Amino acid sequence: MNRFWFATAVAQVNVQAASLLVPRSDRANWTREWTAELHHLCHAPDDVIAGSPNAEPFAFSLGAFHDAFWIRYDRLRSGGLPNLRSGSAARCGLLLAAAAGVALIITLALPGARSAILRLPYRNSGDLVMISSRGYAGAQSPSIALADYEEWTTDTATLFTQIAFYRPIIQGVHLAHHAVARLSVAQGSENLLPLLDLRTPAILSEANGADARLVLSDKAWRTVYQSDPDLVGRTADIDGRAVLIAAILPDSAWRLPGKIDALLLENPGALAALPAKTSGFVVARIRNSAFPPPRGGWRKMVETRGMVTRSFDCICLAHLVGQPSYVFLFALLLASLALPATTALPLGDYPRRRDHLPVSVNMQRWLFLLAKFTLIIVIVDLCSTDLAYGLYPSDPVTALYIQIATAFPALLFAFRWILQDQRKRCPECLRLLSNPARVGQASCNFLSWNGTELFCARGHGFMHIPELPTSWFSTQRWLCLDSSWRSLFPEDCSPSPGIV
Amino acid sequence: MEPMPADVRLSHTAAIILQAIHAGQIYGFSVMQMTGLPSGTVYPAMRRLERDGLIVSKWEQQSIADEEQRPPRKYYRLTRSGRATLDAAYARYPLLEKMIPSPEMERA
Repeated sequence: MNRFWFATAVAQVNVQAASLLVPRSDRANWTREWTAELHHLCHAPDDVIAGSPNAEPFAFSLGAFHDAFWIRYDRLRSGGLPNLRSGSAARCGLLLAAAAGVALIITLALPGARSAILRLPYRNSGDLVMISSRGYAGAQSPSIALADYEEWTTDTATLFTQIAFYRPIIQGVHLAHHAVARLSVAQGSENLLPLLDLRTPAILSEANGADARLVLSDKAWRTVYQSDPDLVGRTADIDGRAVLIAAILPDSAWRLPGKIDALLLENPGALAALPAKTSGFVVARIRNSAFPPPRGGWRKMVETRGMVTRSFDCICLAHLVGQPSYVFLFALLLASLALPATTALPLGDYPRRRDHLPVSVNMQRWLFLLAKFTLIIVIVDLCSTDLAYGLYPSDPVTALYIQIATAFPALLFAFRWILQDQRKRCPECLRLLSNPARVGQASCNFLSWNGTELFCARGHGFMHIPELPTSWFSTQRWLCLDSSWRSLFPEDCSPSPGIV
Repeated sequence: MEPMPADVRLSHTAAIILQAIHAGQIYGFSVMQMTGLPSGTVYPAMRRLERDGLIVSKWEQQSIADEEQRPPRKYYRLTRSGRATLDAAYARYPLLEKMIPSPEMERA
């Protein structure tokens, strides 16, 4: 009768848990040795055991964890990494994951690409809309007359909580004697930044006697003013007007249509002095109770004035800046549709009897395929975004064309590779098949197989790819080998007991 | 191919384990008892010694274990190379034989 049944039970559970940490090829051997020694320890006479009879089995079982970690460490140090051998599924997955990681780092490093994938930095950005007279195209270029905006500031209180106007223009900033920098300045209403509810450092709220306030972009601050730390609060000369430099805006903060270097916040009087037909962008924050729930980021606003009825589109800003995602999804759809036309989809015939290939092995195969698709989609998405928005910043419409032109072929070729790669792998260990051999003679095709045979280097089976697909042998076929064949394949040699 | 004894530099722990096996402690647990080293140290060290060809392991026969109604144990013994390495280690660790007397020393 075991005197220390509880200590023994805990120790046995520990040993079993430790055995799970040991590589599968060595697990049985180590578990057997630990269990045998633990049994001996639990049944040894008290005078043989140095420490407490209750504590010793537990201490021994904890030592098993040390052993298991050592086995793992030793295997890594000796470069044994069997799963990362050339052609293994782990290696393939690791390379794809590394490529996705590199692509993500590049995307985050490129300002244009980074802003294309990040969310809007404005609070409650779902309420922000761009008003356009020509749909999406109108939202990307100035399409609203200043006169319309001024009327809406009073007429649309039931629709919008706030409404703001801006128009990008090129203006000269006087820096020193005869030194003028040309900047793209968005001349806008002074409520523009409060409307966006931007998470930025404090902005000077008063012009302090100047005509207007100027908010510089971080890039303009660095390039035009050489990162002058005392710039905020000073007065600048823009085309003869004295304006107060009120803040420096991070580059990622400006996500509205139009590329700008600075934002000139005008008081209502100065804005009203502009010609009535001056075109610009109008951004508004909608009153949620005024519009039905958003559908596709698009709302219609109809204005009736006398006998004239005009309609405008209120396009959700989040939808507008999220266009790279939609374009990529469209490219993904196109590639998925084109894939069956360009490559064969079947992955081959595998044994119908699942007693040879367990469910877990089959699941592993499908999960590997899914992981490849997922990683490839991520990589192509990030790379196409880099090309469209990061490397060659251009206008948004051109960027969309660049993205779809790069994403579609890249996805199509990548999907073809995924399927071809999957067909060339052993369904059991997912390693690439090797040693292709021609079998049969094409001239003696009658009632005979000819084609190419590849085998799994670990002895799991053969893949027969027919040279001429027939009605009875149309696709590649996997021939399983039972374990009695394994001794012929040197890469599957089991380690002798004790050798790690 | 077994390494030459001069090529193998034994740590003190490895030398103690080798000496314990030489002294007749042929099971992992008995090596632990003799040396006072924990299992997380003894077994990895014995695996290294086995990998270096200084000791060999073997499972005892199932019939013996069945007779005694216990699981079979794995036992270890020194190889010729291991014995030569241990002899070389005595010069480096002079107290080794006194800590764990070998059969020859006990007979003497």
